This record gives sequence, structure tokens and C-alpha cells, in this order.
Amino acid sequence: MKTRLSLLAGVVTAFACFTPVAAFTGSSNTGAQSVPLWLCIPFAGLLLSIAVLPLVKPDWWDKNKAKAVIFWSLLFVIPFAVTNGVGQAATVTLNCILDDYLSFIILLFGLFCVSGNITLEGDLVGAPRVNIALLVLGTLLSSCIGTTGASMLMVRPIIKINSWRKRKCQTMIFFIFLISNIGGCLTPIGDPPLLMGFMRGVPFFWSLRLFPILIFNMVLLLFIYYWIERRAYQKDIAEGRKPDISRPGTRVKICGSHNIIFLVMIVGAVILSGTLPGLSAFQDASGAVRGLHFIGVSLGYPSLIEIAIILLAAWLSFSTTPTEIRTKNHFTWSAIEEVATLFIGIFITMQPALMLLKASGSQLGLTEPSQMFWAAGALSSFLDNTPTYLVFLTTAGALGFTGGMVTSVGTVPTQMLTAISCGSVFMGANTYIGNAPNFMVKSISDENGIRMPSFFRYMLWSLTCLIPVFLLDMLLFFM
Amino acid sequence: MEATREKVMELATRIYELDGEVYRCLGSSLGRVYTGSRTDCIEGLARLMCSGRTAYLLRSELALVGNMARTIPDKDDCARVMDTYNALLREVQSLPESFGTVDIQDKERIRLNQVNLRERFSENDHLVICIGRSQGCAGTDIGFALADALKINFYDTEIFNSVLKRLQAEQDQVPDSTGSDVFSFQPSGKKHSSLRQWLQTVDRYHGLPKEDAVFFNQSDLICQMAKKEDFIVMGRCADMILANNRIPHISVFITAPFELRVQRMMETHGLDHRHAARLLKKLDRRRGRYYRFYTGLEWGSPINYDLCLNSASYGIEKSVELIARMINRQLPPPEQK
Repeated sequence: MKTRLSLLAGVVTAFACFTPVAAFTGSSNTGAQSVPLWLCIPFAGLLLSIAVLPLVKPDWWDKNKAKAVIFWSLLFVIPFAVTNGVGQAATVTLNCILDDYLSFIILLFGLFCVSGNITLEGDLVGAPRVNIALLVLGTLLSSCIGTTGASMLMVRPIIKINSWRKRKCQTMIFFIFLISNIGGCLTPIGDPPLLMGFMRGVPFFWSLRLFPILIFNMVLLLFIYYWIERRAYQKDIAEGRKPDISRPGTRVKICGSHNIIFLVMIVGAVILSGTLPGLSAFQDASGAVRGLHFIGVSLGYPSLIEIAIILLAAWLSFSTTPTEIRTKNHFTWSAIEEVATLFIGIFITMQPALMLLKASGSQLGLTEPSQMFWAAGALSSFLDNTPTYLVFLTTAGALGFTGGMVTSVGTVPTQMLTAISCGSVFMGANTYIGNAPNFMVKSISDENGIRMPSFFRYMLWSLTCLIPVFLLDMLLFFM
Repeated sequence: MEATREKVMELATRIYELDGEVYRCLGSSLGRVYTGSRTDCIEGLARLMCSGRTAYLLRSELALVGNMARTIPDKDDCARVMDTYNALLREVQSLPESFGTVDIQDKERIRLNQVNLRERFSENDHLVICIGRSQGCAGTDIGFALADALKINFYDTEIFNSVLKRLQAEQDQVPDSTGSDVFSFQPSGKKHSSLRQWLQTVDRYHGLPKEDAVFFNQSDLICQMAKKEDFIVMGRCADMILANNRIPHISVFITAPFELRVQRMMETHGLDHRHAARLLKKLDRRRGRYYRFYTGLEWGSPINYDLCLNSASYGIEKSVELIARMINRQLPPPEQK
């Protein structure tokens, strides 16, 4: 009982530190008045449910998480309809589902399907050095095929080669830190916020400037990982666990490798969704992106093209890959189902927090790169990092700087743009809900016999391993 | 108490078998929840059940089995397995918080630490004696003389060489950290000179560090040998390897006062005092590190062995007699040897 109470105390503290409710308490401004602060309660409630209920009522949560999501979503939608009108509520909800959630979940679904059809066979052994090599590979791959793509591609091979081990959750945690988040900072393909930056005039290869920061973070985190992993590895050996290496030589075979083509197809679709809106063929006379309209909400043709390509890639992947590969990969729908269920609730209930952020972002008084780094990062830990990035980019653009990167939202000093990019991309790793692949990796690991930490225990890992590294980032790069 | 122990073991076996059944139904190749040997896993589960303080670990391990079970694609199989899972869960939840009484007895150790060490071996078991020793205490000579007296095989560097052959590795590439050759531990200084050589090394050792690959292969070999013949093995953490694999054995640690060992090193290797002392310290450190890394235990600590011996108090011949007496083996009179 004491543990549960301390967990509750922990969550209250965490939310007080990170959620917009606390972030905006001191700023009573006109923008924020249109969305009352208490409308953020359903978001906090949903996060609390995700964090606490799997610990205290695991069976109930397993069967009823969809009901919890509906409950918290309605708890936002109904009061919002009462205060702002039914039409406004419908527009906000539909906009969030069509414009944000749909492309998010379709991308995740496509990558989940395609990567589930690729399996690694062989007798490479999961030990500290091999795991580090794979984490480095995955981190660099994240910028080429996106954090979600790299996570989905690498998660099963890493689980498989470590299947002889007992203590392996640290590998999956650092997987989330590096492959699912930090690795995506080098290109707009890596993480959606950078794609938004690219669409606002930041050059495609500008983010390659973040390479030294990436290397610095990667080296530090891998150093920490090595010592944790080495201890765990030693304990496993001391308990008498050993891999099967009776056969001389290492055999490694990738089955279903033709799915790499479909993976490239999906990455291409993501790039298209970022470039097509800038073409005049996809813009109407007013410069808005052409698309389908429902109740005042539009779904742009570029998004529709992206969705169509991703679904086609997933279908082709399924129809050209033998079922045995999926069976060997323990491919099930549970992980994507769980993420789809929880994230629709998160997307809907976080709307008031995002509205507050949009309305008050420019009045927060953030003028230094270090402030931007922490503000963008802290909010990206819980909110969608794409709108968070945009809010801070717009805020920085409106500060009236004359030197730096010229974007469509104004001129932003290079150091400040670096800080916003790093904060948004890196700090998605702070919580399971900070970035979509985090939860996917957790779910897939849970399904395959790896005891992943609870929501708060994971935050403890990020507080002890990530935050000190981010503090060093601030001192070295953003001061 | 015995009945409770039986009940716990039976429950642990059923949990282990359920995990196997779930994995079989899934056809996955990503690994099951209980990946160690059957006996180890069942023993581990039983330990968790008997300890009230670690009950949460048992519940979370069971939850992992449940997570996997829920993803079985065949509905009938899934329902059948989930029924078994739920029944097991109920039984586990009905267990008392702790079965243990507040006693200081370590039953496992008591079972092993019979006065007559030979009694721990059943008719089907082979006599395996694992001797750990500090350098210069004549431990290898004692081991060799004992094997000769008992008419059983003696293994030291032979195991290491056999493993290298199995790994298709060259001797100068991998140092023998626990072998009797005092100069073998020194690295050859060879590094991977090209990417090709590095890739060859990764391929040969399955991505593992060479020492670990050798250790895992040595473990396999020692366990295989223990099922086939009586023998004495020097070092190589054989005591813990066999303990982890539940193979009966006798573990002995032999040492002697540092100064006497230095004197012996000076005589046997023609070294001066300074060099001999330095070499001894280095070897002790290295063996300690090796033992600690692969067993998690302190090398030479009496609590880790059945018998610890100061060879300087007895000399080689009497040490052999003492060990033989401990295992209840009458040695032939000296003239018959």
C-alpha cells in the first residue's frame, strides 16, 4: 500500500513539473482564458490511468482500457462542447483524429506490419558488445528510416539474440532512449518535428549539424548502458545461463529481407507527405493545402497519398511473406491495438493542453536556447512533440532576431533552433508516452517475456540516466 | 514441511510446463519467459514461492506468461491455456506469504555438506573433484597426485585446448586465465590488424568476447565430461559450473602462506624474489577477477568450497591423503602406487 501511495505522490509531483497545467499557472493570458485549465484534467487523468492502473488493477486494465480511454475522452469532449459549442467540439475532435491521429497510427501500423515480416535467424549472441553495436546501428538508422521504422525493424532481432538472458530490460530501455528517440535528430525523416521544421523552411540537411550532439549523447548513454549491461550479463552468467554456441562460426540470416523495399516505400511516403504540401499543384488559390473536407476539417491530399502508400506497402508485405516468418516473429496485433487504443485517447485529451500551449507559448518569456531546450523537452515528454516543436519554433521566430535560420515563421538563431530540435526529439524518451515507438517497444517486449518497468519506474530510469546527460547538453551546447 | 515443499515444486513444474506450452502454441523464436535449464527454472520458481518478500517477482513472471498466452492465435488453444493459467494463478495466490521458518539453516548446503563427501554421489553419478588453487601452493601437483592415486583422469589445460579446437581458435589469441602455465596469461599483443580479421573474430566467437566464448564452451565440455567419467579438474570455475547445472561434485580450494609460495615460485621458475612476488600477486588478482566475473563469488573465500586446505601444513602427499579421506577413499599403500 505504501508503494502505491508513494507512486501516487510521484505522479502528482511529475505532473506538477511537466504538464501544461503547472506550466501555465502563472500566466493568465487571453489565449489561455478561452481554454480553461481544468479542461486538462482528463489528459492528466488518462496519463494517471496508464501509469497507475496496470500496477494496481492489471487484469481490469487489460480488459477495460478502451473504456477508460472513452471515459477520459468524453470527460474532455462533453465539457468542451458545453463551454465552446457542439460544433467547435466536433471540429476539434475530428481535426485531431483525421489530421493528427490517422496519419500517426497508419504510419505506425505500416511499419509494424512490414517489420513483423522480417526476421533474423542465427546464433549471434546478445552480450554487451553486440548489444552496443546494434544500438549504435539502430541509432544511426533512425535518422535514415525514422525512429518508428528503426524501432520496429530492430526490436525483434534484439529481443531474439538476448532470449538466453534473464536480465534484459536495460537493453530495451536504452533501445527506447537511443533508437526510438535520440537517433532521429539528424534528418527530417528521423522524427516528425524535424519534418515540420523542413516544411517551415529549415533546409533538409540542416539537422546534420546536430551530429556532434547526437554522438555526445550516444557515447555517454552507451557508456552508462555498458556498465549496467555488463553487471546484468555477469549476473546471468553467474547463475549458469549460457547461450548455445556449440556450432563453430556465426550464422546470421535475414528472412523476409524483400520487405526492406516496403520499408523504403513507407519512408518515401513520409517524405512525400512533407514535400507535397509545398507544391502548387496541391495548393488552392489561397495557398491552403487541397483535400477532402468534413465538418470544417480537411484531410489534405498529401496525407491521403501517404496513407494510401503505407497501406499498400503493408498489404504487399503481408501478401508476399510466408506466414511462418510472422509466427517465428511472434507477430500479434496486441501491441498495435494497445497503442492505437491508448493514443487516440491521448491525442483527444491533450487538445486543451496544446491549445493552451499555442495560445501562451509566445508569452512564456522564453528567450534563451537553454530555456527553449527544457521547455520544448519537458512538454514533448508528455505531449505530441510535433505541435510542441511548432509552438516553440513559432515563438522563437516571433522574437525578432535578425541573424540565424530564415524560416517561414521568422528568423531563428541557429543555437535556438538546435535547442528546440534537440529538446523536442531527445526528451520524447523521458516517458513511455513521449514518442509513439516507446510504447510499441514496451508492448512488444512485454509480449515476449521481458519484464519492462512500469510507467514510473521507466521515468526513474530516464531521470537517472537521461536527465544528467541533458544537463550536460545544456551546459555544453545551449548556454 | 516436506509436503509443502513437494506442493511448491509441483506448482513450479506446472508453471514451467505452461510456459513451454504457450511458447509451443505460439511457434515464436523470440524466446520464452523461462529460458534457463528446466531444473534451474523450477528451482528458481520454487524459491520465489517460498519467499514472501519476492512474491511480487513471481506474480510479474506469471503475468509475462499470461501476456504471451493471450496472444496465441488459435482460439481453442488460447482458451485452454488461459484456463490452466488462471487455475495456476489462483493456486499461487492461495499460497501462504512464506513457507520458511525463522531458521539459519541453508538446506541445500546442509544436504551437500555431509561429513563424508562421497555420499553426495549416487550410483549413477561420477566422482568429480574441482580444485581451485592459488599459484605456487603446489595445488596442481596435489591435484595430479590425487588423480593418480584415485586412478581417475586429471584435466587442466587439456580442457582449454579442446575448447580452442572446437572454436577453431589459436592458443596465442586467447589467454588461459586459470591454467597452470604461469606465463600463459600474458596477452600475445596481437590486435586485429584489419576489418577482415575483426569480422573473423566476431564470426568465430558469435560476437562474444573470446574469453566468454571459451568459458561457455568449457562449461559445456565440463558438464558433458561429468556425465561420462570420474575426473579431477583444476580451476576454470568448474565448481560453480557444475553447481549451476546440479551436477554433484566436490570443491576444494588449496592455498599456502604468501612467502612460502614465493619461495616455491623462485625455485620452480628460477625467478628472483621481487619478480616471483610480483608475478604471484598478479596471478592471484587475475584468477580472483576471473572467478568473480563468471561466478559472482569471491575466489578463495571458504564459504564457497567444501574444503579449504593450507598445503603448507601438510605437504603434497599428506594433502592428497587428507582429501582422499574426506571422500572416503582408501588410498593404496605407498609401495603399491
